Formats: sequence, C-alpha cells, structure tokens
Amino acid sequence: MPARREQKKCRSMAEALVIRNLSKRFGGLRAVQDLSFSVRDGETVALIGPNGAGKTTSFNLITGYYRPDTGSISAFGRELVGLRPHNICSHGLARTFQVARPFGKMTVLANVMTGAFLRNTNLDIARSRARAAIDFVGLSAKEHTAARELTTIDQRRLEMARALATEPRLLLLDEVMAGLNHAEIDQAVALIGNLSKRGLTIVIVEHVMRAIMAVARHIVVLDHGQKIAEGSPREVVANPEVIRAYLGTGYRHEAPAAGTVGGVAC
Amino acid sequence: MKSALFARSWTWVAALAAAALVLPIVVDNPFVLDIFIRVLLFAFIGVAWNLMGGYAKQLSLGHAAFFGLGAYTSTILLIRFGISPWIGILAGGVVAMAASLPIGALCFRLRGPYFAIATIATAQVLMLLFLKFRDFAWGAEGTTLPNLGDAPLMMQFESRAAYYYIALALLALGLAITYRIERSWMGFYLVAVGEDEDAAEAVGVDTTKIKRHIYLVSAFLTALAGTFYVEYIYFIDPNTAFSFNISVEAALVSIVGGIGTLWGPVVGTVLLEATSALLQSWLGSGHGGVQLTVYSLILVAVILWRPSGLIGLFTDLYQRFTHAGAARAKEVPLDG
Amino acid sequence: MLATLAQAVINGLLIGGIYALVSIGVTLIFGVVKIVNFAQGEFVMIGMYISFFLASSFGVDPLLSLLISMPTLFAIGVLVQHFLIRRVLALGDMPQIFLTFALSLLLMNIALLLFTANYRTVQTAYSELSFHIGPLYFPVAKLIAFVIAMLLSAILYLFLHGTDLGKAMRAAAQNREVAMLMGINPDRVFCVAVGVALALAGAAGSLLMPFYPAYPLVGQVFVLMAFVAVVLGTLGNITGALIASLMMGVAESLGVQFVGADSGLIVVFVMLLLTLALRPNGLFGGWAR
Repeated sequence: MPARREQKKCRSMAEALVIRNLSKRFGGLRAVQDLSFSVRDGETVALIGPNGAGKTTSFNLITGYYRPDTGSISAFGRELVGLRPHNICSHGLARTFQVARPFGKMTVLANVMTGAFLRNTNLDIARSRARAAIDFVGLSAKEHTAARELTTIDQRRLEMARALATEPRLLLLDEVMAGLNHAEIDQAVALIGNLSKRGLTIVIVEHVMRAIMAVARHIVVLDHGQKIAEGSPREVVANPEVIRAYLGTGYRHEAPAAGTVGGVAC
Repeated sequence: MKSALFARSWTWVAALAAAALVLPIVVDNPFVLDIFIRVLLFAFIGVAWNLMGGYAKQLSLGHAAFFGLGAYTSTILLIRFGISPWIGILAGGVVAMAASLPIGALCFRLRGPYFAIATIATAQVLMLLFLKFRDFAWGAEGTTLPNLGDAPLMMQFESRAAYYYIALALLALGLAITYRIERSWMGFYLVAVGEDEDAAEAVGVDTTKIKRHIYLVSAFLTALAGTFYVEYIYFIDPNTAFSFNISVEAALVSIVGGIGTLWGPVVGTVLLEATSALLQSWLGSGHGGVQLTVYSLILVAVILWRPSGLIGLFTDLYQRFTHAGAARAKEVPLDG
Repeated sequence: MLATLAQAVINGLLIGGIYALVSIGVTLIFGVVKIVNFAQGEFVMIGMYISFFLASSFGVDPLLSLLISMPTLFAIGVLVQHFLIRRVLALGDMPQIFLTFALSLLLMNIALLLFTANYRTVQTAYSELSFHIGPLYFPVAKLIAFVIAMLLSAILYLFLHGTDLGKAMRAAAQNREVAMLMGINPDRVFCVAVGVALALAGAAGSLLMPFYPAYPLVGQVFVLMAFVAVVLGTLGNITGALIASLMMGVAESLGVQFVGADSGLIVVFVMLLLTLALRPNGLFGGWAR
C-alpha cells in the first residue's frame, strides 16, 4: 500500500535515475535480483550492503558494462539498457571504479583531458576544463605527474577529476572512502557536498557510515542482490532486516519508535 | 613525454631532414643506397604499425596482409589494366582499408595474444588464397613487373635516388600523420584505449570506433609500403608479399625502438638494420639464421630490460647532456 | 567411399593425438600462468632433435628416448619460467607476447644455425609398418604415438585431479589471489606447469620422429594447430584442448583427402576464424578447468 502511494508522489518530481526490476545472474549466482529504486534529480543516494550484496554489479549494470537479464534502467528519461558504456557516459552518467584505473602512462592532466574531450575536442578548451576539475579535487600540484606514480588516494582523486571532466549529470562513486583516515574522509565528504550543491545527482556505494550519514538523505540497502530496505538514514539504521543482514540473526533490535515510517521518502 | 623531447628540438629534426635529403647526392654506391632505402621503408612500415600496436596496444602480427593487398592491387592494376602505380598505390591503400574493416570486426573481439593470433591467421589466409589465385594474380610463382625503363609516370626510374626519395617521402608522411594524431584528441584516446579499454569507455571513448579508425590509417599506410616495395624490386609473389617476416619486422622495430613514440620505429629500424649490416660484413651472407638469431636476442633483451623500448635510453642521455631536466613539454600526448 | 572417409578419419585422429600433446601444453600454460607460449612448437622441435641425435649416435629408439626428452624439456621449462617468464608476468600483454615470440624466433634460428635446414629422419623397424583391419590400415608408428599421447594425457588428468600439486595448479589457474592466500607458492606452481607443458611438447617430438622429419621450422606447423585447438577447446580447458585437437586432426585430414593436398592448412585457418567469429569462447563455454 505505501508503495503505490509513493509512486504517485514520485512522478511529480524529476527523476535522474529509475531502476525497475533489474536482475542479473552469473552462472548459478544471482548477483542482482529484481532491484528497483529511483533517484531524484539533485539527490545524493547511498547504496549500501554487506560485501557481495550486488552494489558494484549494479554500477556495472547501470553504466553498461554488464547487460541485465531483465529489467530497465533509465536516466534522465532515456533507457540505458543495451547502450555501450561510452554512450551512457555521453548521456551524462560518469563513474569511478572501486580500484582506480588511471591511464598509467599519461600525466594527471592528460588523464583528465581525455575525459574532457568528450564534450569538446579542442585541445585548449579541454585543457582548461581539465585543470578546473583537477583543481576541484586538489591535485593541481601534481598536474604533470605520471598517473602510475601517484599514491592510491591521489589516483582516486584523479578518477574523480577524470569523471567530472566528462561533465556528468549523475555521478556514481564506488567506495571512494575506503582506506581514508578521518581528515581525508572529511575532505571527501566536503567534495561530495560541493558537487551536490552544484546540482549533481550522486549515487555512492560506501561502507563508511560516517560519510554516508553526512552526505546521503536517501539510502538503499542491498543484500544478496536484493533490496531489503530503503529510506532515510534513521529509518534504515533502525530497520531489523538491515541489522540482520550486517550482523546476522544473533542480534535483534527493538521495534522502531512510533512516528517513523518505513518506505520511500518522496 | 619522451618523443616530445626529440620532436621539440626542431633543430635536430631539421638537421636530420637536411642530411636525409642530401644523402643520395653524397652517396653514390647503389648497394649502400639500397640499404638506406630499406631502412626508410621498414621504418615507415614500423611507423604504420606503431599507430595501432604502439599507441593503441592492438598488437597485430598480421600487417603483412595489408602490405600484400597493397602490392597486389597496384600490380594487378598495372599489368592487367595498364594503370600507373601512382594511382595503383592509392587504390592499394583503399583496398587495404576496406579489408581492415571485416578483419577488425573479427579480431577486435579478442584481447591480447588472441588478437595477435587472429591477425596472423588472417594474413596467412590471404597468402594461401593468393597462392591459389592463378587467373588474375599469378598464383605461387608470382610475376615480375614489366621493366619500362625510365618511366617516372609509371613509378619506374633509372636512378636509385628516385626510389630513395619516394621512400623518404613515405616515411615523412607516416611521421607527419603520427605527429598530428599524437597531438590531437585522438592521440589521447588512442593511448587511453591502449592503457585500459574499460576505463576509456567509462570516460566516453568509443573504443570500437577508435580501433576501427586507427586500423584504417595503419592499413592504408602499410599498403603504400607494399606497392612501393614491389615497384622497387620488380617482383611479386604471395610468399614475399604476405610474408610473416614483414609482420614481425613491423612490430619488432617499434618494440625495440620505442613502442608508442614518434621516433621509436625509426630508432628501432636503424638499430636492427645496422646490426644486420654489421653481421653481413663480419660473416658474409648466406647465414640467414644469424641475423634473425641476433634480432631475437635483441628483442628478448629489450623485453626483459627495457620493455618500453630503447628510445628511452636515448632521451635519458639527451637529457643528461643538455640538462633539459624534467621538461614540461606543452604539446605532448602523454602530458597535457 | 566410406572406407576412404573412415581412413581419413583414422589418419586424422592419430595425428590429432600429437596435436593434443602440443595444445594441452599451450592451454596448461595459459590456464595457470596466464600467458600464451608462442614457442611451444619449438620445444617440440627440440624434442625431435634430441630423439634424432640419440637415435643416430647411440641407436636409441625414439620411443625409448621419451625417457630422456621429457625430463630434459621439463628442466628447460622450469628454467624458462624461472628466468624469463617470471620477469614479464607483471608487465602486461605486450612484453609477454613478444617474449615467447622472440624465444620462438631465437630457438628456430639457433636450430637453423646448428643443424642447417636439412630434414632429419629416423628409420625404425616399425616406421613403415602398418596393420590392417578390413580395408582400413593403421600405421604402427602413428598408432603407438596416439596411444602414448592419450596415456600421457590421462596421466596428466590424474595428476591435476589426484595430487596436491596438481590441485594447487588448478586452484592457481582459477583464482591466483585466493591460491596465494592459501599458501600456494605461485612460482613453484608456474615452474611445474611450464615444465609439464614443455615435457609434453618434447614427448610429442619424440613420438613424431619415427614418421616425421625434424627440421628447424617444424614447430611452426604444430604450434598453429595447437593454437587453433586451444581456442576451439576454450582457453585453459585441457579436456577441451584434447577434444579440439582430435577434431582438428580429422578436419585437416578430411580437407587433404577431399578438397586438395594443400588445403589442410586453409581448413584449419577457416576453422579458427569461424570459431573466433561465432564462438570466441570456444566450444566448451567460458570456464577454464
């Protein structure tokens, strides 16, 4: 009952990403099962869940690296299933990889320029746009360093700059906080906040709860490829299903306090 | 970064160009001139290969397919239809480009060594087919080209110097094309595809299209070399035109010299040909195995100790001597 | 007519056994070490020359020389892995391809220098012998080669599934990181894999000597067959390589019999290109064994 009500409400708001009944299996393994959720334009959504829950697979499905068995993915009104990754990027979706994949031979500047060329093939324009993105992530000092010589964290910054250079409307960040210390997490959170202020729609896969709570108003929880909960951070944290998924059945939580409502916040 | 160091020093390039232009005037000996012509030709083939194999890391070992297609197209046009090789050479290029489309469609599905094997197979299939085509392509015996004496309009010259200049022009063409691509968005895209195709797709690079396009260019240039070679030696047969050795040499000179750099293939060709000439003078000819043995030893050594090619050695030396330091070259593909 | 067909199939199967030894080696190295050994044919060639010299200098029967050629090539394999292949494992495709490729060129040309291009043959008591069943004849030398090839394949299978080291190899083939975490030493496993693969190549060489000439470039023919069989049989899949090799042998034989004497090679290539076009993952799906 709540589902139908929320659907009607949602239609009146612009939706950046709509996932409907997405499924993907690899041999005997059902990586993603009947997944549905939506992301509003300008929203920051966190996709969380234990390891192997299907989060990165979802990213790969959304960005065209895998083809779903069933279901639809549409972004900004356009169906994405069947498109190649570069088309999807051109349509406005950019992603980072869980393990950074820079073009090692190239410098930071060249890496980001490669992203910038998507929107304009002019060398000077691409260079200045690239510089802006590099500046945003704080890598300006290392502009001419070869990407393979960067630290892991700088490589992640590079990934983000390169993705931003493609001028996305929706950014998919895959575990950018992994292994960061407190200060670095704060920096990253600030970065994401900045991007959100600029109107970017953001979907992050994360394990670092602090960061999730700080940036996301809307959380989708996956386990074994299925969505088990969705809602505001407070709702999700109190959800018994979520607790069971992370901690196992040995831990039971009290019933949520009166006044909270399960279901999608529209 | 490294090729920029050389390219930026226009004085070096100008000096090299001047020396190259003057060479046939200074060098009279036809045998020596022949060596230079071969160096220029194989450097050109290497440059053509390098666009695909060096920058985009699509390691083709079947470029002889395009060499042979170029050679046969122009020869067939010449002997069967009396068309000048100056037109034939372009026709050959077009035929090679056309062939690169289905070959690419087939082979690009494969990565790494399986791509290489598939390209070997396609070149071999072409050789086998041309061995069978007796009617319009002379089969296994091949044919000699008609000797028209001094006939510039038919790409035949009395003086060897003319061939030298054509070969030089071809190499210059190849280098110029490489240079322009290197410094454009396409150069960045090529290196991106070569480094990491999936990551390239993620930033909007249509990897299939890029591979297809560079294959077209590479095939076209290689075919030009094929026509030239046949015009130079006045003979064609499937074993020569589609020879695996040509495919190997195309890759070899780039890898030894500097894969994915502008001058790498030139450096590699000079090194290998110099080695070859030295060996010949020490041992005399008739020791075919020695040359390839040494080549392969050099290749193994380079792979183990300097996989990016020997040009790195030279640029390091250059830097040390001229204190060029960590030059922030502006217009370089590997650097923005 | 049927007899001709059956004979062609028999001939194809028998030589297919040899192709199997070579291709199993290639697919084993690919599955475990994850590189393509372009030089596999040259190790067959080395096996052939070892047997040739043992036969011509000491009168050792090629089949007996298996006892020498196989261990020798195993040792060579360990050395190749430890000193050459290991250096390029982290470097990516290009150095890996060109290393084994250069090795192939090197070995071919050294052989050319040392032994000249002349064909070397060994005549044994059974080189010309064959026995008949009805209208079909079975050349003894080839039959023995086939039987021993199948025997060696079976032994390999038992090794991979029955011994700890074999299982370690399969584990490393499936997932190197996990295997390392479980304490499996990759270099040791790789050395064994390459050693075994080269030993099989050497065996192929020795088995070939009674009915096939040795010459420096002989490896090229077999490595080609091997590659097609490996792709057809799915990369890394040993059983697949075996079956595909037998198929290749039969296809080549049928081609020679019914299309033309020089068509064997073109049949093979067409098979390769068709496989790549239609089923790039090979006939047996995408799972390496």
